[in-house]
Amino acid sequence: MTRPLEDRLAGRGRRLVATLIDMVLVPALTVLLVMITGVMEDAEDYRDSMWMLNVFLLAVLSYLILNGYWLFTRGQTVGKRLMGVAIVASPSGERAAFWKLVCIRALFFPLLFVVISPVLMLLPIVDQGFVFRKNRRCVHDLAAGTSVVKV
Amino acid sequence: MIRRPGGRLVTTTFSMNHVEGKRIAQAMLFAVAALVAHTSAAKCDPKPGLTHFYSDGWGIELNNQRMQHDTAINRANVSRLKLAWAYGFSNMKPRSWPLVSEDTIFIGDSGLGVVALDRATGCTRWVHKQGGEIGSAILHAKIGERDALLYLHRTEGLYAIDALTGAEIWHAHAAEAVAPFYSGTPVVHDGVAYVPLSSIEVGLAMIPFYGCCTTRGGMSAFDVQTGKELWYRPTIEEPAQKTGTRWFFVGQYAPSGAPVWGAPMLDPERGLVFFGTGENYSRPTTDTSDAIFAVDAKTGARRWVHQFTEGDAYNTACDIPGGLPNCPEPRGPDFDFGAPPILLNDANGRALLIVGQKSGDIYALNPGDGAIVWQRRIGRGGALGGAHWGLAANEQKGLLFVPISDIETWSDESIPPATGLHAIDTATGATRWEHPRVNRCPDRNCFGGLSSAIVATPELVVAGSLDGFLEIYDADTGATLWSNDSWKPFETANGMKASGGAYDAHGPMVAGDQVIVSSGYGSFGQKEGNVLLVYQLEGETAP
Repeated sequence: MTRPLEDRLAGRGRRLVATLIDMVLVPALTVLLVMITGVMEDAEDYRDSMWMLNVFLLAVLSYLILNGYWLFTRGQTVGKRLMGVAIVASPSGERAAFWKLVCIRALFFPLLFVVISPVLMLLPIVDQGFVFRKNRRCVHDLAAGTSVVKV
Repeated sequence: MIRRPGGRLVTTTFSMNHVEGKRIAQAMLFAVAALVAHTSAAKCDPKPGLTHFYSDGWGIELNNQRMQHDTAINRANVSRLKLAWAYGFSNMKPRSWPLVSEDTIFIGDSGLGVVALDRATGCTRWVHKQGGEIGSAILHAKIGERDALLYLHRTEGLYAIDALTGAEIWHAHAAEAVAPFYSGTPVVHDGVAYVPLSSIEVGLAMIPFYGCCTTRGGMSAFDVQTGKELWYRPTIEEPAQKTGTRWFFVGQYAPSGAPVWGAPMLDPERGLVFFGTGENYSRPTTDTSDAIFAVDAKTGARRWVHQFTEGDAYNTACDIPGGLPNCPEPRGPDFDFGAPPILLNDANGRALLIVGQKSGDIYALNPGDGAIVWQRRIGRGGALGGAHWGLAANEQKGLLFVPISDIETWSDESIPPATGLHAIDTATGATRWEHPRVNRCPDRNCFGGLSSAIVATPELVVAGSLDGFLEIYDADTGATLWSNDSWKPFETANGMKASGGAYDAHGPMVAGDQVIVSSGYGSFGQKEGNVLLVYQLEGETAP
């Protein structure tokens, strides 16, 4: 018999560490792809703003390369897999729809990086701050209809 | 970033740190405030007078002496100079230099555009709206029968607009230059605009994944009537080659750099355009960096090139302590020639081309072949001067006025700084007088150097300092005759909240009975401000 969702919720510490792992891995692969493709390497690239779009697309690609398969099969990013937590649909507790994970939930991932901006830092703080509520659902969980549970 | 005295680090134009977000928000607020201010500002006659102009370019006259004869301000009445009005710029690093007509001041207001201001009241006649940074002086030219204004937008190139209305006439850019940075001021003569070319690569090099460096400085000539590019002369002829690879993938390239960011000087008699270059961005270096060029005004062909500092390779990747990956090893001293060359005759009637370098070296050259006639080193120099933005000369008195910054930027500390104003003999280079400036730090958290370009009149020298003082000196003795502190808030004619800061970049302008100056150029960590100040002889009315 499956336990109720509220009894399986992942700890906040594990979620934080999982997020930090993803925050290191995705940019690291992005940097590697940027170097391989050379989209920021030539002065000609800076005639317009296309290089920014190129870097963004490489970041999306990096996210999908690292996390796509496990998100699809287990509802886990690399960080979440290492920390033994997974994303599930809420309140059913069943496997979350892949498109929601990528097209809604993942949109909040870049927000984590604006925490260094004095102007925009409130956005990730508010998003992540929701984890301190009883159901531990961040804003991105609410938007995607998900919860994070122990596995 | 650049290390300041006391170890404080300050941001440069290209640094990307946590301050950026704040700056973006600040810029947005300023833009909104500027729009509101201009909407609510007093209206005045939109038609500027265009029959008399007080300068023929950055150098006031073609010889770049920055000597203003057309002024009523003199030794006897300078004490009567009072603030007539102020204008609030839309951003915190004003860099444009005004063109003044009989009743109007034309100046770039970065973030807003070019504005035409009534000389008597400061009210806005018209605005040529344009985003981005206008970093040059405003120049007058005739296009057909129309009076036109020419200026450089830092990234978009050369613009010609109607002086009567502010409407755009044409826009041109240097077609062959890759990633150009239009940081200097053109010189216009005989229907041709000579446009100095720097490169944004000096800043791109801060990006660790950037393949440094492939671009070079140069000079382009444009037909003033049409905006058509007539010729392009790069300062490095050979294209950059790959010199290595970093981190398996990121290419390294050279030669590069030798940008031109000071105004050129046109010598109609010799048919030559003279200009100075900056450092190389990568190694190996070339024999054209930190050099003076003489090129044919009609074709751009090189007549002579004289290099003064060999092996100087630097870019902003070096401004981070320890250096980012693209910082050349070893890092050079960044001893550009930013101060535009001056042509004058000395007391013996000998024609001399005078150039000042950020190293603090002043050279008098034979304009025919670039040979050194005399040389002087004043102070210790540094990446921000030494002699930084521009000198002035009084040919009749045989004096060259040299403002020295000597702010500490990897400077040779074994040499004492010579911060202040120096008057030297144009025939020999010997010092006639010097006026050291005291460092008012830490009370003002600032530095008293003279980095900004200066202006001379037959009896005076006008200079603004990094610590926010505009001072007027006696040309014969160096005594301070008038001083005014801009480091405070100002009420403005356009209703914009404004305050002063450091005086830097193109410096003051003298026109008739007025001294016109922007305060607050803060691109390299100086105190920022956003005010245009117009001082006028009390009891006089601008002609």
